[in-house]
Amino acid sequence: MSDTTQSIDLNVELNRRGFVKACTMVAAALGISEAMIPKLLEAATSAERPPVLWLHFQECTGCTETLLRGSHPDISRLILEIISLDYHETVMAAAGHQAEKSLQDTLDKYAGKFLCVVEGSIPTKDNGIYCKIAGRTAVDILAEVAPKAAAIIAIGNCATFGNVQAAAPNPTGAKGVRDLVFDTPVINVSGCPPNPISFLGTVLHYLTFNRLPVTDQLGRPLFAYGRRIHDHCERRAHFDEGRFAEEFGDFGHRNGYCLYKVGCKGPETFANCPSVRWNDVEAWPVSVGHGCIGCTEPKFWDTMTPFYERLPNVKIPGIGGVNVDKAGKTILGIAAAAVGIHAAVGIGKKLSRSTKDDKKDI
Amino acid sequence: MIYEKYYVWSILLRLYHWCLVISVVALVVTGFYIHSPWTLTTLEGTGLYPVLAMRNIHGLAAYLFTAAILTRIFLLLFGNRHERITDMLPVTSRNLRNMSTTFCSYGYLRDCHDDERLGHNVMAGMIYILTMIVALFQVASGFYLRLPENTFWQKWGIILFSSQQHARYIHHLLMWYFIIFALVHIYLVIWNDLTNEDGITSSIFTGNKFRPRGIK
Ligand code: SF4
Repeated sequence: MSDTTQSIDLNVELNRRGFVKACTMVAAALGISEAMIPKLLEAATSAERPPVLWLHFQECTGCTETLLRGSHPDISRLILEIISLDYHETVMAAAGHQAEKSLQDTLDKYAGKFLCVVEGSIPTKDNGIYCKIAGRTAVDILAEVAPKAAAIIAIGNCATFGNVQAAAPNPTGAKGVRDLVFDTPVINVSGCPPNPISFLGTVLHYLTFNRLPVTDQLGRPLFAYGRRIHDHCERRAHFDEGRFAEEFGDFGHRNGYCLYKVGCKGPETFANCPSVRWNDVEAWPVSVGHGCIGCTEPKFWDTMTPFYERLPNVKIPGIGGVNVDKAGKTILGIAAAAVGIHAAVGIGKKLSRSTKDDKKDI
Repeated sequence: MIYEKYYVWSILLRLYHWCLVISVVALVVTGFYIHSPWTLTTLEGTGLYPVLAMRNIHGLAAYLFTAAILTRIFLLLFGNRHERITDMLPVTSRNLRNMSTTFCSYGYLRDCHDDERLGHNVMAGMIYILTMIVALFQVASGFYLRLPENTFWQKWGIILFSSQQHARYIHHLLMWYFIIFALVHIYLVIWNDLTNEDGITSSIFTGNKFRPRGIK
């Protein structure tokens, strides 16, 4: 009984060993040298823990869950240890007016100094009425908090690219943070959910070096999103040598062959899953036989589905989704028919003309 | 009837044409393979890399394709008068006249010939310009997929196609444009060779076209 209480009690002190271990893991993910680890530790243990405002908008809280319920308690505790979470609806003790007060207090006291983490997309349609907290819309809250933040970390595909809420037809006009905030630096820790290590790496990088890590063109930190899954996947050799699972459960699948033909989106997805892996059990989707679904990419619900096909369908109004090659073959067929008719008309004309000429000859 | 020979297609244009043919065939074949690869054996340790090999051929052909397209764009600007963009779009009254002659001859409306010109008819010209534009998108999406970490292609790829997956989707759809183009192109060449006497088929080998003496 006491064990269970302990494992969910987030206030249990993180011991030094676990702390250093967790920091080292993050350093590895960040790809920084071993020599930097003391600096990282120093930043992580400094008395001045940066205040963090964690805003929840349109989301499922999955990102928070992933962070806090990692099987490895060190990571989650490390997060709570190195930052001062002044406002986080899921984990804070305060509620109602009290909670909103702590938000205001941090805004006033630490303007320009606090980190803002946004989880969830922001609905913009109809004046943003589709997401309200304490009577205010997500758009308003973000507009108030964003300019005062030192930097914003958008966590999860919702906050970065809008995720499923923004999938066509996007009924609530959901947007990512970077579509709305321009004056404050925003870093996108994308994924559904993102790996806690990628988030922690971003935070620690910021604390250690006082700036955000280098990003790709979509604002995702390169240390975590610098390479496509396919380019460092353990099944890549099977891909190059042409060994594929043709369907789930077949010979190839049981033998751990490449999942390309059952729709793996690794070739189109930037993430560190193959190297950092998940949940401290060294697993990630492909390692357990399911293709990547491309959850770190913009518009992934529109472009990565059907999940078990290589390419999205062509959407034709009135008909619905049609397989790309089927659509191509149909148009080719129509073109071939048109060519055939054109040729037939030409031959017909020629024949009728030559019979006329024959008559003239007589 | 006595025919006169006219030199129409420069060596560079003919070279471009055949490089395009070779590269498009290679790209479509390997492209289909990459989209849905298959092998005869799943034996491990054979030292064969069929998918890798196909991707390499695809990459090689892509460079040939790019070179061909760039050559044609150069000729659009600096080629001889039959090869220039001004001869291909309905921008002059001569070209506009040709539009209607082409329309009436392809539509079997009357027996109409345009003796004013030796190069492309304007309908074909417009399709070729469109093909160049499609080809440029194909090149851009291809390089974006091939060199995802390159900042130049990453930037332009995201602007033009957003994610890699979407670029791949466009890349695949545009491939069908080239397949359909090839079908219609080959048909119309044969059709023109049967209905006209200027020797259109051989012109892409020799560069020469023919006209009865007296007519320009
Ligand atoms: S399983 Fe997916 S990511 Fe891995 S090699 Fe195959 S296609 Fe690429």
